[in-house]
Formats: sequence, C-alpha cells, structure tokens
Amino acid sequence: MKYLIAVFSLIVLVTLLCPTSARGDDTVIELRFENRRFTPQTITVPANQAVTLRITNVSKEPIEFESFKLNREKVVGPGETVVVRLPALRPGSYDFYDDFHQDVPAGSIIAK
Amino acid sequence: MANRILTAVTMVLLVFLLIAQFITVQRTNPPLKGDLAAPPHIKTLLRRACYDCHSNETRWPWYTYIAPVSWLILHDVERGRQELNFSEWGSYYPATRIRKLQWMGRALREENMPPWTYRIFHPGTGLTQRDSTALEQWIETEINNQPEKQ
Repeated sequence: MKYLIAVFSLIVLVTLLCPTSARGDDTVIELRFENRRFTPQTITVPANQAVTLRITNVSKEPIEFESFKLNREKVVGPGETVVVRLPALRPGSYDFYDDFHQDVPAGSIIAK
Repeated sequence: MANRILTAVTMVLLVFLLIAQFITVQRTNPPLKGDLAAPPHIKTLLRRACYDCHSNETRWPWYTYIAPVSWLILHDVERGRQELNFSEWGSYYPATRIRKLQWMGRALREENMPPWTYRIFHPGTGLTQRDSTALEQWIETEINNQPEKQ
C-alpha cells in the first residue's frame, strides 16, 4: 500500500512539475503581457535551436498567446505564468498575438 | 465490510449528484453580431458540425440541464465561442478572420474538429471527406478574399 501511495505521489509530482519547468538546455525567453501589449514585441532567437518562452500575464484579463506559424495556443490567466516550448526554428519570422483581444498588436519571433 | 464501503460511496455520490443539480449554469444564446455569410452548402455544414460550440445559436439538449454534464458542456461552449464565434464574424478584423480561417483549415486537415466527445452525443455531425474538401476549398477562397490579402 505504501509503495502504491509513493508511486501515485511521484506521478502527481511529475505531472505537476513538467508543464511549468523549462528544460535545462533550452534558451529561455521572458515575455510579458501588460497594458494590452506584449513586451518585448520582437524577440530574436538563435535559429535551429529549441527555445522556451515564459509568458507572464500581468493584466487583469485572460489572454491567449497564439501563433499559427508556430502551431501554438495557450491561455494565460491574469497573474499567471506559462511555459511554451518551441522546437528548433528555421531562420525566419514567426508572428504571435493575443487571440482573445484582436486590437492587441501582434509581436514576432525572429529566428536567425 | 466491502458492502458497507460500497453503500457509503454510492450514498456520497448520490448526495453529490443531488446537490449538484442546485448549482445551475447559464445556458445563453446572446444576440448575433454579424453572422458569417457563406454559400448555403457551407453554412449547412458549419451549422451541423460547428455551430453548437462556435456560435451564439447553440442547441441545448436535455442533458445540458443535468449536472455535472451541464458544467462540462458550458465550459466547452464558452471556450469554443471565445476561440471562434461565427455569430460575431462580422466584428472580426480582416487579419483575425484570416487567422481563424487558417486554424479552421488546420483543424480539418488534422481531423481535430468536431471533437469525438461531441460526435458521440451528436450522431451525424461528423464530416465526410467530401465535406472536409468543400470546407477547405471555401476556407482557401475566403482567405484570398480578405482585404489584407488583396
């Protein structure tokens, strides 16, 4: 029984920690959403290398970080921080936006 | 002993279900703010497969009045409308429409929509290959017709 509880606790712990922690070898980029805009608006990342975005929503409304080119969409609640992992990107520009507020200016990730 | 535990668990579940019925949810269909204009056959497909979650014309069958199913369905409808609402299509910026159309195309190609959980409760709402092809062609035409693309 104790063994089962230990295994179950381990599974819960791993499940809780995995989505929020960045992998050690990724480049971590901080992105903030505040005053109806993303900061920074343009992010330059090394091409052909995995990147981790840590997105913090400082506003009082939920947002959805979305990028069609990157095939990513993630809801970020007020005051929350989420992690979005991106694979190694080919050189180029990848736009992102807040899908819940269409007046928010789009940002871009430039891989080079 | 086992019987007692089973009886206790059943009782707890029944009490939970009973109390849950008193926690009501709002099943709303807000006014339309510029419904999507599309050819009739496309509109029929969208109404059949998408409108319950992606419009303000949701059909609320009897089981949407029974908790906890009602909570889950309401969550899906709220999320669906937030992501894409055909009843507010007219209020979307051209750039937003292009994005929504692009995501719709991807969802069709990857066969993510309508979700299997929805299809189970709504037989006949799945899309055939022919339906998907028709929708994909319409999506492509719509993307090219948006002012930003011209």
